[in-house]
Amino acid sequence: MNKNFFEIKNVDFQVGGKTKVKNLSLHIEKKGEIICLLGPSGIGKTTILRSIAGLEKISNGSISLKSKVLSSKNDYVEPENRNIALSFQENALFPHYTIKKNIYFGADRNKGNGVRKIDPRKIIKILNIEKILNKYPHQISAGEAQRVSLTRALISNPDLLLLDEPLSNIDENFKEEIQVKLKQILKDHKITTIIVTHDSYEAFYLGDKCGIILEKKLKQFDEPYNVYHYPSSINVVNFLNRGVLVPAKVTGQYTLQNDDLGLIKGNFVNEHKVGTKVKLLLQPEDLEHDDKSNLQLDVVDKKFKGTNFIYTLKTKSNKNISVFVHSHHVHQHQINDKFGIKNPIHIKHLVCF
Amino acid sequence: MKTFNIWYISSFLISLFVIIPVVTVFLSYFENTSDYSELLKNTFLFEYISNSLILLLGVLIMTLIIGVTTAYLVSFYSFPFSNFFKWALILGFAVPPYIYAYSLTAFFENYGTAYSILKSLFGDGNYNKHIPKFDGILGAILSISFSIYAYVYILTRASFYYQSNNLIELGKNLGFSKLKSLFKIIIPSARPAIVAGLSLVAMETLSDFGAVDFFSINTLTTAIYNSWLSFDDLAFSNQLSFYLLIFIFGLFSIEKFSRRSAKYHSPLQGGFKTRKKIELYGLNSFFAFLLCFIIFFLSFIFPISQMLYWTIIYPKNFFDLNIYDLILNTLLLVSLSSIILIIFSFISNYGNRVSKSKILNFLTTISISGYALPGIILAVAYITFVAWFDNTIINFFEIQSIKKIFIGSILGLVLAYFVRFYSLSCNGIKSSYEKINKTLDETAYLAGYSKLKTFLNIHIPYLKSSIFFVIILISLEIIRELPITLILRPFNFETFATTAYIYASQDLLEAAAVPSLFLVLIASLFIFLISRYILKEENE
Repeated sequence: MNKNFFEIKNVDFQVGGKTKVKNLSLHIEKKGEIICLLGPSGIGKTTILRSIAGLEKISNGSISLKSKVLSSKNDYVEPENRNIALSFQENALFPHYTIKKNIYFGADRNKGNGVRKIDPRKIIKILNIEKILNKYPHQISAGEAQRVSLTRALISNPDLLLLDEPLSNIDENFKEEIQVKLKQILKDHKITTIIVTHDSYEAFYLGDKCGIILEKKLKQFDEPYNVYHYPSSINVVNFLNRGVLVPAKVTGQYTLQNDDLGLIKGNFVNEHKVGTKVKLLLQPEDLEHDDKSNLQLDVVDKKFKGTNFIYTLKTKSNKNISVFVHSHHVHQHQINDKFGIKNPIHIKHLVCF
Repeated sequence: MKTFNIWYISSFLISLFVIIPVVTVFLSYFENTSDYSELLKNTFLFEYISNSLILLLGVLIMTLIIGVTTAYLVSFYSFPFSNFFKWALILGFAVPPYIYAYSLTAFFENYGTAYSILKSLFGDGNYNKHIPKFDGILGAILSISFSIYAYVYILTRASFYYQSNNLIELGKNLGFSKLKSLFKIIIPSARPAIVAGLSLVAMETLSDFGAVDFFSINTLTTAIYNSWLSFDDLAFSNQLSFYLLIFIFGLFSIEKFSRRSAKYHSPLQGGFKTRKKIELYGLNSFFAFLLCFIIFFLSFIFPISQMLYWTIIYPKNFFDLNIYDLILNTLLLVSLSSIILIIFSFISNYGNRVSKSKILNFLTTISISGYALPGIILAVAYITFVAWFDNTIINFFEIQSIKKIFIGSILGLVLAYFVRFYSLSCNGIKSSYEKINKTLDETAYLAGYSKLKTFLNIHIPYLKSSIFFVIILISLEIIRELPITLILRPFNFETFATTAYIYASQDLLEAAAVPSLFLVLIASLFIFLISRYILKEENE
């Protein structure tokens, strides 16, 4: 028997006879770890959560928790006997119960089995829903409903917590605060959690590990830093949308040559033979601004992001590349101005495909 | 996966019950009938059909005008008592067409109530000539229209009520006058609802038995009844049913289709805001009030006053009537039917919910089509089937005849009601059941609730009010129902409806007044209890 806390082994995830995700395997080693599943909408992330919770059956592979098989071709533990909490994206709140009753629904299932209980009052306070406890679901906003749903899932003391787009309806300016609080609660109480989201920043912040699901497959399952800096395929790069791929030729053990940008130095993540043509991943933070440089490109767009500017530059071969510049940078460049890039370009990790 | 489970078996049984009368009618079409019926067919069939069609046309025009006008007034304008009329206008439902017909005749007949009023006002005189006579097909059209225009009113009003404010503001923005907005925007966008209402009216009109029988109009329904009762020709009865069913199924399809498009207009969740009504002043306000009052008066106050009047001037009839027995009989029928209907509705709805099976869904669709079957067809087909079953199958096995168990028994009556009213109860439960998001069930399962516990602790509390609604609705229908009860009831077992019918058919209208009055009062009470649901405003 494996020793992983939670494990999915070679499972095809289906809904209504249609396979959404094929042959997926992943595991959570220790109790209290958080993993995030990222992917475009409709790809089957929700189906995965529903199958783990036992709301959909699987016909091959196995899903096991605490060394006990929950679902496989022959085994099936009813959802009510799994002790897995799922917070639905559509916030399934009971319309005929008050918020308070909704929150405490199922809170007593693990009474007296020695589990260290989460104090509901604490969660209610942290997620700021004290004022709506006596209201009914139709009287509160979507964001509030989402926090209620989250609270209910948290205080039921599950062995495994599944969150489906838990913060999708929460106001942008409140979201970051909730993310911090949520992570704190999950870590303090060692709640093993799988979070489904389409927001990569959220996934990178909350997850100990992130899984990227594309084209019916789990393309990459790794720590957030690695997913971002060492994407495993072009698809992952495109999905995360945090950089462009430029054609280049490997010229040495540490060097590449690009027609527009010239010499690029760095350490290759994967081995490439000298002379091969590759596509190099260029992320906004890879390039450095230098007015005195002889490498000057045209500015085509400028976005102010608060802490920084993102300039979009056009190369000679009509490719748009992005560069970060700190927002305190003294002088600004306007569209159609020239913009200098320090060269030769030095990039720490050279990710090439 | 288990294919045969309780959901399938019960859904299959119900579908079978509904299918049997249809199949019986269909098969009988090809059976030989007596010579007498050949004669009838050649001479009167055309009359039956044309009378049915004239009646249909008249009622459709009347109900369209009354239903849409009143719905428009109470939905968009505020005038004295407009909120009262909003629900008072559905009270017409409490007066079945045959009782309306009795009142109409009682008032306008020679030496009737109108005559008495004139006489007491102006002294003796020959007024009979001058009092208009509403009998024959005109009487039937009026009786049926005032009794069931509420179908059009309710559905149209609901559609107006949920009509997007944007649409009306768009009209103003384009510079449309109120009248132009009404005909260019408001009515066209409510058209599916109006058509759905009219098709219900059409189905009821074609199935009406009591009023046309009272006015001695030969329509398909009365012919079905008479050829069964007078000529003892079940086969010919069923052949007539066949013609009627063709009409009905056409209407049924129209109704289904327009309901589906009517869904298009249902409001998005949370996106609905109550529209502010336009305040009417002066003459406009008076005319709006007057129109609604006239309709309310004619549909409800008039028949009930006539019944009351006769009950008061002939108190003997009141004391002769065994009201205690009638109430007991009604209660028995209502409670038995409600219990069975509710239980099977739950089984079917719950089964559909947990099994997600397409076959089950299909079976349910068949089972709820029973409401399209006119009561008279249902009753005659039921008898035909039991007789056939008894003659062939039971005889073959040489066991005792089952006729007595199923015909002229409470059981037979309840079974026929079941087929007729199953869609009422099934859809009533279904519409609320579908409002419970399936993720709620799943949330309960994940919180450790078993299926049974979820059903008892989540579904039942949530559905409490719709169970109540359905029971009242069934009671309302059963108490108004005439042909099924008349044909299938046990010997000497009477309800308010059959008592009124029997007196009326013996020309004892003043005696029919007492049971009619009771029927209308009880029905009004039922309508009052469920008006909130009928008007669909419970969620705002």
